[in-house]
Amino acid sequence: MAKAVDPLETMPVSRYAGLTRWGLRLIFAFLVLFLYLPIVFMVAFSFDASQTPSFPIQGPTLHWYDVMIHNRQLLSAVANTITVSLIVSVLATIIGTMAAFVLVRGRLRYPNGIRIAFTMPIMVPGVLVGISLLIFFSRAFHANLSLMTVIAGQLVVTVPFVVLIVASRLQSFDRKLEWAAADLGASPRRTLRHVVLPLIAPAILAGALICITLSIDEFVITWFTVGNQPTLPTYIYTKVKFGVTPEVNAVATVMLVATLLIFGIASVVLGRGRRRLPGRRRGAAPTA
Amino acid sequence: MTAEVVTGVEPAPVTVASRGRSARLRELAPFLPAALLLGILFFVPLGVMFIFSLWTTNANLDIVPVWNLDNYAQFFQTGAYVRTLAKTVVMGGAVTTICLVFSLAVAYFLARYVSRRWARLALLVIIVPFWSSYLLRVYSWQAILGEKGALNQVLMSLGLIKEPSLLFVYNDIGTFIVLTYVYLPFAILVLYASLERFDYTQLTAAQDLGASPSRAFRYILLPQIRPGLITAAIFVFIPILGEFLTPSMVGGASGLLIANLIQTFFKNALVPQGAALGLLIVAFVTVLLIVFRKYLRVEDVYARG
Repeated sequence: MAKAVDPLETMPVSRYAGLTRWGLRLIFAFLVLFLYLPIVFMVAFSFDASQTPSFPIQGPTLHWYDVMIHNRQLLSAVANTITVSLIVSVLATIIGTMAAFVLVRGRLRYPNGIRIAFTMPIMVPGVLVGISLLIFFSRAFHANLSLMTVIAGQLVVTVPFVVLIVASRLQSFDRKLEWAAADLGASPRRTLRHVVLPLIAPAILAGALICITLSIDEFVITWFTVGNQPTLPTYIYTKVKFGVTPEVNAVATVMLVATLLIFGIASVVLGRGRRRLPGRRRGAAPTA
Repeated sequence: MTAEVVTGVEPAPVTVASRGRSARLRELAPFLPAALLLGILFFVPLGVMFIFSLWTTNANLDIVPVWNLDNYAQFFQTGAYVRTLAKTVVMGGAVTTICLVFSLAVAYFLARYVSRRWARLALLVIIVPFWSSYLLRVYSWQAILGEKGALNQVLMSLGLIKEPSLLFVYNDIGTFIVLTYVYLPFAILVLYASLERFDYTQLTAAQDLGASPSRAFRYILLPQIRPGLITAAIFVFIPILGEFLTPSMVGGASGLLIANLIQTFFKNALVPQGAALGLLIVAFVTVLLIVFRKYLRVEDVYARG
């Protein structure tokens, strides 16, 4: 007689189901517009002839890119930023990864307390980290502010990120793999080098990438610890305060494209690594 | 899983702690650089700030080591300061609320109606703006919300307003819009992580048992994603307590928050007063961190995608 009916099809579907779905789509579209509007403006005004980012638009030009590559101060700020971010991310990744191993495996006392201690530099407002460092450097050490103090300040926020990210990967790490390696005669050093490190490499790389992006864009702490060699964000801030010149929009556009490229390459590399790794917690299979 | 195969293996004694103190020290040595770094560059400076907060300044604005709690008392006795603090908390609450509502809708949409592959792409699209200069993105909002900005142009060409409105920027509304813009993606990432794990057949089951969709949402879905909601709220609310850049760029004179006040103290060489206010915020944040320690998955918020 009648065909078997899928019970789900007889479910009373809300009259508003279709409406809800369209509403949610609309919200998502609005979100994307909201998030991209400032970026679009930033990029657009880097090609616009007008002096200030305002309407009406005066016509396309590459003038600001020309100004950019001839602005010595700006270029040295970019160079400072790159130097600082490379040093910070290398140091933070090494220091943080070492600490993460002990945090997960060292059977430290008060692990929760230590966790909170490592979360504090991230969550305590940057203004306070910056100001306390400024007081500390200037009143306690009478130290001259320089890129060294900037690096020191940025390490305070980047190291905890690496510690927490690598520790979370280590926590889900299957230690039987290490025992198997040891069982097969590998020394602890060899096990670390050939089993553990390759498996947690994605987490270490993720930590390093976060350090680089944080460092490149770090403003607040840098603002308080910077001497007379500005980084890009502090340079932009002084420009914005005293009337912006559109070449900073040009720099930001270039930086955005560069970051996208770095992340694109990194995600391709990481994606390849991921597929080869057994026992990843989150299935990264694109077929899902 | 391969677990059954290996269960018979006795865990190899990997640790060396039992061999004595020096071995234990060697085991803990890798922790030392990070501990020293945080100790010297984070906790000691906060301690120095705490000491300063107990001292005072004389007429020449020199710091004199007179120990008392006057700076703290003075803060709470000054109406303007307390109002700024209250406004910051209200602003944080408002931004947190709108972020949660908005990102709940978006994350629900992505987790339920979009395939996982497209959802991941959508999350990437949501994060990408954050790879460009924070300062310039905030600055761009001036070009959108300002007197000659895009929003006014659009509203005028639609005939909704005749004169350019000054309502959108250099006041609390400007700060509110831009803070929402800055923190929304974090909330979406966190909420998507919990909604992705949710089993949506439970909603169908609830409705099968006679619950209305909204009832099912309220009593089945919301309780299960509570940890995500709390995490998202923390990661929006706490940073706003220290926001000084956004208010100083789009908040004008009236839209300033507590962190701007701290900065003003230090700019005017009122170090002990600024230190006291700063320490109050540090204490408040620390209490929040301890109370909500279960929900602080920093790595889940930042190391995704």
